[in-house]
Amino acid sequence: MYWRWALSRGLSSAAARFHGHGRFTQRFSHAAPCGGCLGRSPWETRSKVLGCTETYSLGLRGLHDIRYQIHQDSSSRAEEPLDPFSLVADELSLLANRLRSMVVAEVPKLASAAEYFFKMGAEGKRFRPTVLLLMASALNMPISQSAADGVFNTLSNELRTRQQCIAEITEMIHVASLLHDDVLDDADTRRGIGSLNFIMGNKLAVLAGDFLLSRACVALASLKNTEVVSLLATVVEHLVTGETMQMTTTSEQRRSMEYYLQKTYYKTASLISNSCKAIALLAGQTAEVSILAYEYGRNLGLAFQLIDDVLDFTGTSASLGKGSLSDIRHGIVTAPLLFAIEEFPQLSEVVDRGFDNPADVDIALEYLQKSRGIERTRELAAEHANRAVEAIEAFPESDDEDVIISRRALVDLTNRVITRTK
Amino acid sequence: MVATEVPKLASAAEYFFKMGVEGKRFRPTVLLLMSSALNVPIRESIADGVSGGLSNELRSRQQSIAEITEMIHVASLLHDDVLDDADTRRGIGSLNFVMGNKLAVLAGNFLLARACILLASLKNTEVVSLMATAIEHLVTGEKMQMTTTSEQRRSMEYYLQKTYNKTASLVSNSCKAIAVLAGQTSEVSMLAYEYGRNLGLAYQLIDDVLDFTGTSAALGKGSLSDIRHGVVTAPILFAIEEFPQLREVVDRGFKNPADVDIALGYLGKSCGIERTRELAKEHANRAVLAIEALPASDAEDVLSTRRALIDLTHRVLTRTK
Repeated sequence: MYWRWALSRGLSSAAARFHGHGRFTQRFSHAAPCGGCLGRSPWETRSKVLGCTETYSLGLRGLHDIRYQIHQDSSSRAEEPLDPFSLVADELSLLANRLRSMVVAEVPKLASAAEYFFKMGAEGKRFRPTVLLLMASALNMPISQSAADGVFNTLSNELRTRQQCIAEITEMIHVASLLHDDVLDDADTRRGIGSLNFIMGNKLAVLAGDFLLSRACVALASLKNTEVVSLLATVVEHLVTGETMQMTTTSEQRRSMEYYLQKTYYKTASLISNSCKAIALLAGQTAEVSILAYEYGRNLGLAFQLIDDVLDFTGTSASLGKGSLSDIRHGIVTAPLLFAIEEFPQLSEVVDRGFDNPADVDIALEYLQKSRGIERTRELAAEHANRAVEAIEAFPESDDEDVIISRRALVDLTNRVITRTK
Repeated sequence: MVATEVPKLASAAEYFFKMGVEGKRFRPTVLLLMSSALNVPIRESIADGVSGGLSNELRSRQQSIAEITEMIHVASLLHDDVLDDADTRRGIGSLNFVMGNKLAVLAGNFLLARACILLASLKNTEVVSLMATAIEHLVTGEKMQMTTTSEQRRSMEYYLQKTYNKTASLVSNSCKAIAVLAGQTSEVSMLAYEYGRNLGLAYQLIDDVLDFTGTSAALGKGSLSDIRHGVVTAPILFAIEEFPQLREVVDRGFKNPADVDIALGYLGKSCGIERTRELAKEHANRAVLAIEALPASDAEDVLSTRRALIDLTHRVLTRTK
């Protein structure tokens, strides 16, 4: 899919641009250090990003050389392998290390639990910040071409720093919510993560989470953009609302797909959608483009969670019951079961009983097996993934390589989200 | 203000805003008085109609600061009660006692988020920074209280820094925000800040005294809740300066009630209580000076609210509970 799209954007002009190789070097020399939100120079991180980009530019030149062959459909050579994560990996690990060191320096007792909280997400990659940095590159369209290179590069470095700050803030909010949601004992359902609570205790979890939230507030304030403050504050509100929804559902709500999707938006998709929008706003994009960025994030987040729900039943195999079944065992009713209930209304009685009795888990799995619950969930996830792709495709055109590659990577991510097996 | 589709969250967040348990509403009182005290028009020639409209909008924005401040304050109370295992607050069960730790923490986060959204709607990045700083200070103060070393517990400097963080920063930064919204100069904004800071410190110092004396002038009649929780406050710190032996007792922590009595004994012999009152008075005076340095005005509202702010500094010193 991606190479076809890149071609439609005028591959030859992209390759011609590449001959401005010196332009990349110029960015180095004009880089002006600005205070990032954790107080360091973006110069190092920017050069790392460019380092990665150069590798891919070389790949593009190879593509340019065989341009004429493409018309003869030699798709195998045109298919450049693309790893979205490595595009921003260096930039990210600097961010992640800084965040981890800052937290551990301020709250040393968090050190032993730090590994859990700053662990790699799906596929061992840092999912959310990757999306945000790719989105930043994907929207990197200069407003006026006539700005002198020096000024432009300073501005673009400063913008990049601010966007990296969004990625940091997003991680701070995410980890704070893990601390407050997952570590604290949940008196009714005992969903607190037992072993972590034993190491940390409620108090440390509260304090550490508060610390992260307050740092996020200060970092947000430093961006001097009140709309961005509003977006990320809304995320916190949504996270809290989603968690409370999960804690306090009635039986009727537990059986409702609408309630489930709303809760999923609050708990999973809101963070990524609103921070994508914040990235766009910082880049000075129009309201329309900002909403496209938001839609990408929202649909990606929803697709991610829906597949997560499936994997909890299937695990790495295609068959049922091999997953960890952790949702159902905690009494959390997810999309596959909700679809199954539509086909087998008797299942709703089982669901209403809660799943304290393991026998009920088996009964539910049987119904699920007979139903099309898993398939329909995958279909819904694919639908959301497609909408995410459409959002990217609706972005204003650009000939810039960085932009094109990053957009490809964002589209690639939607595929990975759907096809991942863990 | 706390409308939300999740009823349990709404009732948790509203818990301390209900009638009867709103508390003394000390901070909003200060802030609304400060708004009036700074109601010094920048240009006298503005037509009344326009000025009226503008000043209504300004007043409404300043009221938002009062709301935001109270939300941040309650959010910090909710979290503090979880950290302190408190059972009661404002005469009723604490939220964590009634609804569990987790819901109390989430409700606090909810209030904080709403406060930030309201803050952002004022579209003033300096004001956002001021309140974000206050939020950070609150957390720092709580952390300072929870994780002190023995040496820090004996340090007056550490104690005053912690007190600034936990008590004075919120009121000082919100006073400054009031001034900034009113378009005042940075000098005047600093005066507003200084009033808030000194008032907050004076308030806390007297609070420390009352924890020992209660409504009587005599020692040991207060709730002694600070010392029983191992929190070492100004009177004890002053007493240590006179009686270094008290240091050992303090270092032991106060799990043993006998140690509480020993400490009270030293405190009674020392000038700890008096010196704390004197320090509070010093801060109260500085707060008054800040008000007196505000740009002159003939408007009645302005004069009477400035008198009220000064009156507050007296009440803070002379209150017995």
